[in-house]
Amino acid sequence: MDVQEAVAEGATENGEVKRDGRKQFQMGPGDILEGKLIYDGSIHADGRVEGEVRVTGNIDVANGANVKALLEGSNVSLKGAVEGAVTARDKLTLGKNARLSGDVTVRRLQIDDGATLNGHVRMGDFEQQASGQ
Amino acid sequence: MFGWVTLSSRRPGSRLPTPVPEAHVSNGQRNSVVLGPKDRLVGQLFIEGDLRVAGTVEGALEATGDIEIAGGGKVNGQVTAYNRLVVGSEASLIASDVRVARLTVEDGATFSGRVSMGPHAEEPAPVAVEEPAPVVEPTPQKGKRR
Repeated sequence: MDVQEAVAEGATENGEVKRDGRKQFQMGPGDILEGKLIYDGSIHADGRVEGEVRVTGNIDVANGANVKALLEGSNVSLKGAVEGAVTARDKLTLGKNARLSGDVTVRRLQIDDGATLNGHVRMGDFEQQASGQ
Repeated sequence: MFGWVTLSSRRPGSRLPTPVPEAHVSNGQRNSVVLGPKDRLVGQLFIEGDLRVAGTVEGALEATGDIEIAGGGKVNGQVTAYNRLVVGSEASLIASDVRVARLTVEDGATFSGRVSMGPHAEEPAPVAVEEPAPVVEPTPQKGKRR
């Protein structure tokens, strides 16, 4: 299977889409990401993701995606299945089809009816927020 | 003596201070308890039905129906809802354990604790005590499969 299939949307380059001047890592339903990704921008995760994803922007997990990874981002929005710890420096949103099993650290939390969550929720500010970035 | 017995056995209902029906509430009305904004509970509460908390609770809450923490309600402790838990946008739930079948947390709510969800959430231990299965609810809508 291909590593990345760039979705035509704005200026693309290695699956990268710029949106509002910010970088966006755009995945499709057939894409697979394995390993550790540290990314200065946002990611739209779809298909299969395994490992660790840390971004400076937002993480958006599509409906139907299968994620077994540690996720860290500013705003994290889940619509698919996620297994692993999730850190949202700002807000975590679990959509109605979201399934999350793992521990959660957030500043704000919204869970829609229908979502499934199994894990420990910690809410508060982040002392370990890297300065500058 | 005899008269007393006949009287009480004739109309037992009138002698009970609170004629709480056992498990099933007839005429489709579910039992519902409300703790208002000025109310405060320290300890344990089990409700056969729904519970709405707008006040302060320190302790363990358990309801066979829904639990809603609304307004500026604050709950500190353990929460078990056999059906659904709603934490409102201004409410706070700091829990050791949250066991629910369905969960809604509105944006702005304070929420922390260990969450267990799913149909198995209501059985805390493998000790199989036969439940009388009292509440006959209209089956909640099955998940819409497309």
